[in-house]
Amino acid sequence: MAIAASIAVTAQRAAGDATGVPPGVLLSRQLMESRQLRVGDVVRLSAEPSGARSRLFRILGEYEPTPDPMRFAQRRLEARLHLPDILALTRPPTEANAPATISSINVALVDPSDADSFARDLAVRLPGTIAVPTTAPNERTSTFAVIERFHLAVAVVTMIGSAVFLLALMLMLVDERRETVGTLRLIGFTRSRILMQVLLEGTLIALAGAVAGLLFALVMQDAFNRFFQWRYDTALIFLRITPGVVAQSLLLALPLGIGASLIASWILLRQHPLALTRR
Amino acid sequence: MLNVLRLAWLSSVRQPGRTSLGVLGVAAVGALLFDMLLLSRGLVVSFRDLLDRAGFDVRVLATDAAPLAGPRILDSGTVLATIGALPEVEAVVPISIRSVEITSGNAVSPTDRLERVQFIGADPQARPMWTLVEGRDLSTSAGTSRPLLVNRTTAARLQASPGSELSLRGRCGSTSSVLPPLAFTIVGIVEFPFDDADAETVAGQLLDLERLCADDQARGVDMLLVRSKPGEGAERAASAIQTANLGLHVVTNEELVERFSRVEFSYFRQISFVLATVTLFFGFLLIAVLLTASVNQRLGEIAALRAMGLSRWRVVAGVLCESVMMVGAGAILAIPVGAGLSVWLDAILRALPGIPTDVHFFVFETRALFVYGSLLAAASIGAALYPMRIVAVLPIAATLRREVIG
Repeated sequence: MAIAASIAVTAQRAAGDATGVPPGVLLSRQLMESRQLRVGDVVRLSAEPSGARSRLFRILGEYEPTPDPMRFAQRRLEARLHLPDILALTRPPTEANAPATISSINVALVDPSDADSFARDLAVRLPGTIAVPTTAPNERTSTFAVIERFHLAVAVVTMIGSAVFLLALMLMLVDERRETVGTLRLIGFTRSRILMQVLLEGTLIALAGAVAGLLFALVMQDAFNRFFQWRYDTALIFLRITPGVVAQSLLLALPLGIGASLIASWILLRQHPLALTRR
Repeated sequence: MLNVLRLAWLSSVRQPGRTSLGVLGVAAVGALLFDMLLLSRGLVVSFRDLLDRAGFDVRVLATDAAPLAGPRILDSGTVLATIGALPEVEAVVPISIRSVEITSGNAVSPTDRLERVQFIGADPQARPMWTLVEGRDLSTSAGTSRPLLVNRTTAARLQASPGSELSLRGRCGSTSSVLPPLAFTIVGIVEFPFDDADAETVAGQLLDLERLCADDQARGVDMLLVRSKPGEGAERAASAIQTANLGLHVVTNEELVERFSRVEFSYFRQISFVLATVTLFFGFLLIAVLLTASVNQRLGEIAALRAMGLSRWRVVAGVLCESVMMVGAGAILAIPVGAGLSVWLDAILRALPGIPTDVHFFVFETRALFVYGSLLAAASIGAALYPMRIVAVLPIAATLRREVIG
């Protein structure tokens, strides 16, 4: 069993120091790069800031840490050791004979749906123990719920700005056709017919705009992810356009575009045909 | 110049609906831009203020790991004496934070996670890093057996007030659970600067914390808070501590803020940069499109004005003024809108777990207002360039002819 350790590590090349076969260790890609280490090197690890009570380990491999959105800004200088090795490394000399302590135990249940009742039973049987189903809401989920709310709020404000922009634009476009619309009214076109035409045109423009926006977002998605992955040296995906996001965008953009063209047209169509033709 | 302004003003008010929508659009975009500028440095400014309010400008840690996340300072007595003797240092205070559990009072059931609280052990004679809300401080509690300060959340949960008794047991090492609990007397209710809304924190004497964690003494203290002498400054104090060669990591408030800004808080800086850029581009596009369309609709009128003797620069300057007026009005309107919006967005973000109650994401700075004004001014000029060019190169005779024929 291996656990990730975030201990103060003093790693250095120590090839040749080994007297026996040092235990194996896996180091994160970032740690390997920062210390210019290679698989097969022997390193000295210590839990003390001074480097005291260090032990030798042979690097068996390099791994890419699982991307963690909670820690994407931090450099992932990590090592994975076997549990007995990390216990031996971190236990203070004064606790040499004390029972070993570990921070957590992962339990796989036969029936995962029993997680809640198992956690409750365990808390009663072992007072002081905290048993939490992995699906339970925790700090991580609440963090992302908050971030999602923030992004939603920003999106709402952006939408309001966009709606005003769109309305202003449609007003101008419709105003440019003032005389055409007046002429159409004078030769017998009804308001509803003209409105239907505008509605169709507005729908097509809104659809074209939404598709163009989505295509732009799809192109930018890759650039955005690449930039932030480079910036933070992580494999984390920052932006992903899912079918749900596409549907959400279309559901917001289409009614907005159609609504703006309808409002702008209606403002014009309310006027008398002679007024539209400036007679 | 006044004539130019008047021409721009008349052009704007002639189409009140369109102008109003333009101003409203700029206000919405400007409000978001203003908020993103507040967000870009808000957390850093707020965090710096929080650190400075604690009254210490240098922090000494065992390693460069994040405070309270790395190893502890061993042999703290010697280290304390060495640092305290430095001429650049006015005061040095050891701080230790351990987990303890409440074993008496109105604590909830033994299986409840909230039973554990964070115990800050500090020197009672040193200037406190917390704010007293009710009762007395540790320094004025001489004669009280094991004085204890609790934050409001803990006091509310335990229904405790100054004078209440509380038993605590350390949860520091592997053998803590077999140590007997110690009785404390709550002497005051305080606010800790780094507490989040749900944090349950108590503070007591360092000696009492050592008794609670008797099996953990050898592990030292978490941090030393250092106050530099007036006139010396944090940099010189930090440099003197480093020169003392204690093998410790010394960091000033400025360096800590810089590190947090670069690492922990960088997400909000990046997101604010991205959103500010998008918002500004959007604002630029909005004004450019509105002005271009407006100018295109008035080509005949502009040509007539030119034919009547209005100079080219005056008509071009009129378009620029129109842009500046629209952006200016929207920008002014955006400030109160943005301020209100920032309160809402701040409330959303402050719900993040672990965020101290005194930390804000959106903090006003005069600098932000200056940058905001500069960006919008640049956007208004940039957006006016194309319509200005249309007006500048407008062929008067051909336009008038087209207008008459049309």
